Amino acid sequence: MGQNNPPLTEGVYYILLSLYEPRHGYGIMQLTEELSNGRVRLGAGTIYGAIKTLIDRKWIVTFDEDGRKKEYIITGLGKSIIQSEIKRLHELYENGLQITKGEKS
Amino acid sequence: MKKVKYRFYVDYEKEEQWVNEMAQNGWHFKKIMVFRYTLVKGEPGAYIYRNELLAGLALKNKNDYLEFLKESGIEVVNKFGGWAYFRKKAAEGPFEIYTDTSSKISYYNRILNLFTVLFLGNLIMGIFNLMVSDHASYRGTISSTAGIFGIATAILILIPNIKIYRRKNAIKEQQQIFEE
Repeated sequence: MGQNNPPLTEGVYYILLSLYEPRHGYGIMQLTEELSNGRVRLGAGTIYGAIKTLIDRKWIVTFDEDGRKKEYIITGLGKSIIQSEIKRLHELYENGLQITKGEKS
Repeated sequence: MKKVKYRFYVDYEKEEQWVNEMAQNGWHFKKIMVFRYTLVKGEPGAYIYRNELLAGLALKNKNDYLEFLKESGIEVVNKFGGWAYFRKKAAEGPFEIYTDTSSKISYYNRILNLFTVLFLGNLIMGIFNLMVSDHASYRGTISSTAGIFGIATAILILIPNIKIYRRKNAIKEQQQIFEE
């Protein structure tokens, strides 16, 4: 599954990772900032649009709607997408290190 | 303390810039009515302001979206003519609604679609009114005024439309190199 998926955007990558536990939009925003040490800051409009698309693709689902805030969680399909993305990133990382080894900029 | 300023912005990004400059000087945006901006005295730079076109979103999505923004700590200051004016405390860090290329492009497309319909509508009605005013059977003055007004409105919409189109293309070019 997902062998030939195009690369995920950083935003989608971090949104999917955030949703290994149920979270609402603001929770996604905070965790992403924390995980990336403040480098990746996702705008609310960007997260909102991404969530809609990810639900359509069945990579995430709404988790619980009884409260006022909507929470979301990753699906099995979403997890397999993340797995193949990690593999791809690993390949990029390994090849990068192997070729530039010892070089300093 | 309150202050009223009259401004006319063809370009919404310029308007946003002005609202933020005023906030830096301690005048915080409160309300807009056509060209009339009401500002309230406050702590300089306490908030960052953003505006967004909501027209073109389905009503259900619009409410859903506004609810989502509020949950992320964004305050809806005012809504006018299909536009919403947001703000967030500057102490909470930078505030942008759209932070990656693909969401920026789809927002630009939403504006372009609506503005193009408005442009064509005004242009067609303008030309139609001018043509009708040529006929002797009509009371010419009213429709020729309406015709000129329609065409002027169309041109006024065309200016931001071209600007937004250029901005969209500029970030599209970036997308060929950077995955954002």
